[in-house]
Amino acid sequence: MSTKRIGVYICHCGVNIAQTVGIEELKSFAATLPQVKVAENYMYMCSEPGQELIRKDIKEKKLNRIVVVACSPRLHEPTFRNTLVSAGLNPYCLEIANVREQCSWVHKDKKVATSKAKSVVAAAVTKVALLEPLEEKEVSVTKTAMVVGGGIAGIQAALDIADSGFKTYLIEKEPSIGGHMMQLDKTFPTLDCSACILTPKMSDIKNHPNIELLAYSEVADVKGFVGNFKVTVKRKPRYIEEAICNACGTCAKYCSIAIIDRYNEGLSKLQALHIPFPQAIPAAYVVDPEECRYLKEGTCRQCEQVCKELNAINLDMQEESVELDVGTIVVATGFDVFDANRKPELGYGRYENVITGMEFERVVSAAGPNQGELLINGKKPKEVVFIQCVGSRDKTVGNEYCSRVCCMYTAKQAHLVREKLPDAKITIFYIDVRAFGKGYEEFYDRVKGESVYYRRGNVSEVYKKGDKLICRAEDTLLGKPIEVPADLVVLAVGIQPSAGARELGKLLKLSTSPDNFFLEAHPKLRPVDTGSDGVFLAGCCQGPKDIPDTVAQASASAAKAVIPLAQGKVKTETMVARVHEQACRACGYCVEACPYDAIELQLQEVNGREKSVAVVNEVLCKSCGACTGVCFSGAIQQTGFTDDQILAVIGAIGKEY
Amino acid sequence: MDATSTLRSIAKEVLARKDVACLLGYEQGSYGFRVAPCVLTSPKEVDRLIFSPLCVHNLTNYLTLENIGLLAGKDIGKGKIAIVVKGCDSRALAMLMAENGIERDKLVVIGVCSPGVADMKKLEKRFPNVVDKAAVALSNGTLKVTCGGKTEEVPADELLSAKCTRCKNKLPVIYDELVGEPEEGRPDDFADVSELEAQNIEAKQQKWQAEFSKCIRCYACRNVCPLCYCSDCVLDRLRPQFVRRSVTYPDNLLFHITRAFHLAGRCIDCGECARVCPQDIPLTELNRKFQKDVKELFEYEAGVDPEAQALFATFRTEDADEGIL
Amino acid sequence: MNFEPTIVAFLCNWCSYAGADLAGTSRFQYPANVRTVRVMCSSRINPAFIVNALLEGADGVLVSGCHPGECHYVSGNYLARRKLVLLRRFLEHLGIHPDRFRMSWVSASEGSKFADVIKEVTEAVRPLGPNQIKREQVWMQQAL
Repeated sequence: MSTKRIGVYICHCGVNIAQTVGIEELKSFAATLPQVKVAENYMYMCSEPGQELIRKDIKEKKLNRIVVVACSPRLHEPTFRNTLVSAGLNPYCLEIANVREQCSWVHKDKKVATSKAKSVVAAAVTKVALLEPLEEKEVSVTKTAMVVGGGIAGIQAALDIADSGFKTYLIEKEPSIGGHMMQLDKTFPTLDCSACILTPKMSDIKNHPNIELLAYSEVADVKGFVGNFKVTVKRKPRYIEEAICNACGTCAKYCSIAIIDRYNEGLSKLQALHIPFPQAIPAAYVVDPEECRYLKEGTCRQCEQVCKELNAINLDMQEESVELDVGTIVVATGFDVFDANRKPELGYGRYENVITGMEFERVVSAAGPNQGELLINGKKPKEVVFIQCVGSRDKTVGNEYCSRVCCMYTAKQAHLVREKLPDAKITIFYIDVRAFGKGYEEFYDRVKGESVYYRRGNVSEVYKKGDKLICRAEDTLLGKPIEVPADLVVLAVGIQPSAGARELGKLLKLSTSPDNFFLEAHPKLRPVDTGSDGVFLAGCCQGPKDIPDTVAQASASAAKAVIPLAQGKVKTETMVARVHEQACRACGYCVEACPYDAIELQLQEVNGREKSVAVVNEVLCKSCGACTGVCFSGAIQQTGFTDDQILAVIGAIGKEY
Repeated sequence: MDATSTLRSIAKEVLARKDVACLLGYEQGSYGFRVAPCVLTSPKEVDRLIFSPLCVHNLTNYLTLENIGLLAGKDIGKGKIAIVVKGCDSRALAMLMAENGIERDKLVVIGVCSPGVADMKKLEKRFPNVVDKAAVALSNGTLKVTCGGKTEEVPADELLSAKCTRCKNKLPVIYDELVGEPEEGRPDDFADVSELEAQNIEAKQQKWQAEFSKCIRCYACRNVCPLCYCSDCVLDRLRPQFVRRSVTYPDNLLFHITRAFHLAGRCIDCGECARVCPQDIPLTELNRKFQKDVKELFEYEAGVDPEAQALFATFRTEDADEGIL
Repeated sequence: MNFEPTIVAFLCNWCSYAGADLAGTSRFQYPANVRTVRVMCSSRINPAFIVNALLEGADGVLVSGCHPGECHYVSGNYLARRKLVLLRRFLEHLGIHPDRFRMSWVSASEGSKFADVIKEVTEAVRPLGPNQIKREQVWMQQAL
């Protein structure tokens, strides 16, 4: 092994380091360490003169390994790597000795801290001598994106990416895009009609030259890595040719099978051959294969007869598989509404006049089953009770979090009741009212002024007494139990991660936070990134959000997803795992341990003999070292953290100095 | 028909097959209680084969030794290897298959339902200095030991290998041909491990310091182990040097921890390591501790499933958080 | 003089090393006995590192990673947990006091927990005295 010429640069960090670590003592100690040619100190090593000191020595004293004794490598490692590059040295010939965060700031005794600093420096010098120059690599990027989920989050993200000039695939599992927002009547706090603001965006999706919509489709497999994902999409058979159908609706009139209308939350029926709702995009009918008489029993085909001219109906349609090459992925899989059946004490499912907030939206919608009239069993309710936090902030159902929208949608719904029924008595049971958004507090105030009674307390039971429902609760402000009669009880159900998104999460290797929503890369600084490079989060899949926050996050993730596409290339991880083929016994433990599927066994010629060995895909490798941690023969080594390097550090660090 | 005769007739058919190149089995050794591994290549040789409680070796080791040892100088080409395995040996096969150590279709596995093998160290202590060829047979819990022209009967548990007295499943987990019928297994309650666990920490420290201080680092335990088959062993390497060559308690301790840890979730309790140890270090006790803990903590057992995933390359989110701050 | 143990702590880059940095930024004081070794993920830790650390002079060893479910590399800490929980039991079986090897989960936001963990580990090792399995002769200088 060639001799190294090591330079050690000790930063005072003003007084931050110097007040507890004896700089001079440390410097003379460093100078005695093997292969150290220079030991210097400076007030602020990260400043331009400090960096220049290092550059000058690299050139003049022919240093080839640098130790900077300063703050955490998590702070200035990139800075000093650049210093090395500008002096013509490989950036990976650097080791940072952290004597600020992990020494001078946490110990008071100067003698003790100086002694510890010596061992930290000795370890860094030991390690740097064993570091090898590494090469940074880049791979080119497929300049297309995929957005999964066609709710408002996915729609916005797809439009923004497409507007940036990149081809975008939008994948939606339902026959139409629109998502939950399409089911809402009005939106808080402005009371815009939800469909009125959403449907134009849906048309934009359909008409955008850069967007290819794959509705009624699901992601079946994802291979590859940032810049070069290979996605398999399963297209469920619609039984109607999407491109031919003109949505005239004649066929549906001949379909005699009635099914539950999920768009109307089951409050009305439609035909097995149907369009989910009139403004659906794609504007094409669909056959429900679970219900269609022909697909279930093999006879009927009435609908085909009436569409003879267009010939858009094809009951023999099969599932198709489509392969897409994409560079980046936005996950916008949205949410499921909390299942109110899980709170049986509230009477949902037992009493017809206990409904969920989402059902209320359909009841009051002009496009809903009652054409917007608020009728319960054909009668106008006189007393309406709203119960908040159903399935939110509730450990008993495993949802500790706040769903963030229920307080405001309840206020909005109370306002709608007041508009439609000026004389109704309206009561809202709440734990706390969270009106945090722009214009929310003002709206809440306005609703309170509309003779809506806010009562602080959790409803423990809803039961029937005569023709009324009784909501029993403890009013925690009065400190006594109360009972409020109702003709209509609306449960403000919360938001849960979409059950269907779990599989996608596995395919994309997304982590989840304890609330089961997808986990962002950093809660503050990387809120739309994920642990998987090139995969971004938008909307409620990451956590409950209202529409403005969802749209903002969707645009943010679109902007992030565009970066690699605009760059045309991505940098790959440098400190990747490397295999010593001769030592590899091909047990495959590393293959199983790798969380990124970056390793596979391949037959290779080693020393003139064909044998199976582990091979690392350097683009997929994220440099965690799990492979090295399970390898018995030490055949696979994480660069920068090899067994040799770590053992040497262990040897240096345990000693007294 | 006794096990040896059945084995010979099966071996005759197997060796007559065109796709089989050789057969790994046991033959009478040259003196005393010795039985030796042998390689047969022709049906004519099958009368050399024997099977008795003296067939202690785990022959699966020879499958990974590549061209060293018994197979040296024999050109077996692409032919299959037939191998005689006891229940425990077959678990080594399963483990090797699980980690791509050998390919199933390159083997013809002749499983023997062994009722138990002798603990050679106990046997030779009970019958010392036997030079003439001796024989041992096991039936109905009694070992018939024939040496020096006399036959003596000894209760089997006195001389059987400990692994056999706690063997749960005497039916090989993998076989193409089967010799005999399995006796009922005995439950393994890990009483031997629990007894050690109950001692205080000083006693444990003293015990193992004494044991490891005896170690001469001959590496016989590693070499005989069917699951230690890296061609380039980390314990031999100077860079990185995990274990120094100094034969002292600390580095011996590190050597034995590393060896045992490499077998955690892999050791199938064939006991070969302890059998070959010239210093009589109770090496199986180390492996048994891991077997017990792995079962307790992860419900994992080595060598029962040739498709199993590696213990350390997998996890369950509900795994124990024992002692974690 | 009172015995001051040396504690070697292997910290994962993303959670525990960041947590240790936060302890520094927040000026939480803890015993100077600890020496940290940064690795990218706790799954990188080879059990032989821990024993080697004890042989090379550490009186106690700590491995700290992200909380379960929060690993930067999805699942590395689960792999580490399997190996190291088992190792700890094994070391105890061989007479190495379980307080000499601990694991902890410290997240990037748990600076105070990091300080507490170091205090706890150091205080637990101190009464045990110097570890008895240190390599005696350092006749082979580390090959630099």
